[in-house]
Amino acid sequence: MKLYQKIIMLLAMVLTLVGPMSTAFAADDASTSSQQTTTTSNNDELKKIKQKGTLVVGTSADYPPYEFTTKENGQTKIVGFEMEMAKQIAKDLGVKLVIKNMQFDSLLVALETGKVDVIISGMSPTAERKKSVAFSKIYYTGAPYLVINKADMAKYDAISDFKDKKVGAQNGSLFYDLIKTSMPDSQRKGLGKLSDLILSLQSHKIDGILMDEATAKAYIESNSSLSGFKTGIKLNASDTGTAIAYPKGATALGEAINKSIDKIQAKDLINKEFIPEASKYMESNTKQSTMLDYWKYFAKGVQYTLIITIIAAFFGVILGILLALMRLSDNKLFHMLSVIYIEFVRGTPLMVQVMFVYFGIGSIIQSLPAITAGIIAVALNSGAYVAEVFRSGIASIAAGQTEAARSLGLSKKQTFQYVVIPQAIKNIWPALGNEFISLIKESSIVSVIGVTELMFQTQQVQSATFKGVMPLFVTMCIYFVLTFSLSKVLNYFEGKMKHDN
Amino acid sequence: MTTKIIEVQNLQKKYGENVVLKDINENVEKGQVICVIGPSGSGKSTFLRCLNVLEKPTSGKVLFEGHELTNISEKQLDKLREKMGMVFQSFNLFPNMNVLENIKLAPMKVKGVSEQEAEKKALELLEKVGLKDKGQQYPTSMSGGQQQRVAIARALAMDPEVMLFDEPTSALDPEMVGEVLKVMRDLADSGMTMVVVTHEMASPKKLLIKFGLWQMVMFKKLGNQMNSSLTLNQNVLKTF
Repeated sequence: MKLYQKIIMLLAMVLTLVGPMSTAFAADDASTSSQQTTTTSNNDELKKIKQKGTLVVGTSADYPPYEFTTKENGQTKIVGFEMEMAKQIAKDLGVKLVIKNMQFDSLLVALETGKVDVIISGMSPTAERKKSVAFSKIYYTGAPYLVINKADMAKYDAISDFKDKKVGAQNGSLFYDLIKTSMPDSQRKGLGKLSDLILSLQSHKIDGILMDEATAKAYIESNSSLSGFKTGIKLNASDTGTAIAYPKGATALGEAINKSIDKIQAKDLINKEFIPEASKYMESNTKQSTMLDYWKYFAKGVQYTLIITIIAAFFGVILGILLALMRLSDNKLFHMLSVIYIEFVRGTPLMVQVMFVYFGIGSIIQSLPAITAGIIAVALNSGAYVAEVFRSGIASIAAGQTEAARSLGLSKKQTFQYVVIPQAIKNIWPALGNEFISLIKESSIVSVIGVTELMFQTQQVQSATFKGVMPLFVTMCIYFVLTFSLSKVLNYFEGKMKHDN
Repeated sequence: MTTKIIEVQNLQKKYGENVVLKDINENVEKGQVICVIGPSGSGKSTFLRCLNVLEKPTSGKVLFEGHELTNISEKQLDKLREKMGMVFQSFNLFPNMNVLENIKLAPMKVKGVSEQEAEKKALELLEKVGLKDKGQQYPTSMSGGQQQRVAIARALAMDPEVMLFDEPTSALDPEMVGEVLKVMRDLADSGMTMVVVTHEMASPKKLLIKFGLWQMVMFKKLGNQMNSSLTLNQNVLKTF
């Protein structure tokens, strides 16, 4: 059918245009490098990793000293003792290491859909997780630790003090489940990012955070308002220990990883080299903690936010016009399809759409980079809104205009192109501008799939500086400058169009 | 010898159950100027709009230069419409374009005429309708009479074989009617085939007295029936 062909063509167009561009942009960016993996879980995994020459490691880099971001010579870098381990494993496999940074709760999906080869992210091999992925040997065992505000030190020194209090933990982490089992009288609160949890603690939204000892100590050391204590919650090793996750059935890969772990443990490299190395970075992070030191983070975020917005707006408008014309067409099928599309897209959250495109379509097209997926999702979403704006604009043009054009011999298409659309655009300009402005803001949602746009970069700065509010404030100002400038530019053109009349 | 440019055969137009035109048979010959008059709602405009198929007739035939317009493709119809200029009651100039752009659009986009040539022709036509200096103005800054003259120039830019006028002076202030009628008169004088719809008796009369060539088709309302069932029942063809 013609329409399907059109939609597929449009999608293909988006892919071919955005694909190379985004990989070019991502060249200096480890977290969005293109990656090729397979979903088939078998022993070919290892072969494939060696073939493509890269080991793609998924991690949630907000978990010092396990993994966190720092900057070196102005470049963002993901470091931490687990990343040192990752380097070692990649070296043992004889391939290049590629680190993909994303939210902790997205990691398992990313592994299952082949976005990453392995997960190294302080992950405990729980029975629940073992249902979907396989785990290596345990290489590090931490103890549950409760982080509290220093001011509350007198109030809390045992988990029994937290009766009816709010205790936070990272979503999807072992500690989140631990609160339920070991602190049943406490109220549990889960957030995606540790830095957000710290922020909640400092603003007294929660009373304590249950997390790993090493990480807790890192936060306490670098933040003078925090304190904490060891909970003494006893757990079996498979629950507290951390291990590397790999696709189920990829036994050859698992064996290779275990061999590397054995090597690392034989020399006790984790305690002797990796953790001290990570601490070095943490100290430098604590030193460089004014927002100005991180301007490059923000600049990169702005760059990506603009790229996403501009490309998505461009294709959104094309898609929107197409949908509007379909909706106005006499062809009942076109009309119906357009209505269904518009209603469906407007009726589902952008965040779900972004994740659906990345993980859903991304599992069919393996090489789909996160930024491309993000742009596609935002463009598809925007198209639905633009379509309605255009429809109202086209409807606002008097029938006489079309009749005059047709009586002059202009075809239907020419009439739209030269007479109706230019006038419609003038009428809908303010509404269209509104859509562009909200596009800038809504592009922040693609941070969920790890695209290094402004919101994502902000979270990076938050976890790098151990500061919660300041980066948010800076980002808020940046977003405002972006939207306000755009609004001024749009006003300028609106005035110009009026002048013509 | 006369050549028929437009032939209308058994034309019928219904909107749902509402019959607007019934059994119309008319011919327009080359060089002829036909005035279609009749009260509001008698179907004059619908008749005119059926001639270039802006309204699709319910049944019957409309032939233009021997080609049947009612059963051809959109593309062929576009081709034939080029030769039938139309002027509307509400001018329908494109407000986003200046006067010259309004006139140049169709020759350039439809006929593929070069911008230079289109501009030259547009300026000639503007001079003809007495608006030589207004080329850069936008329609909304002009009076109704001026706009209607631009609309006539726009239609003439396509070198039509016939010009259709749909109540060209009805939306104008009385003092502007004259300037538009003068342009139309000059046009008739130059031998243009014209079909003019109007509900004012004054305009055709003015023209008729001066030129003995006008013919009139009278559309009449059906007695005292309800307004929803206005039907044409009589065609009067008179030659003055």
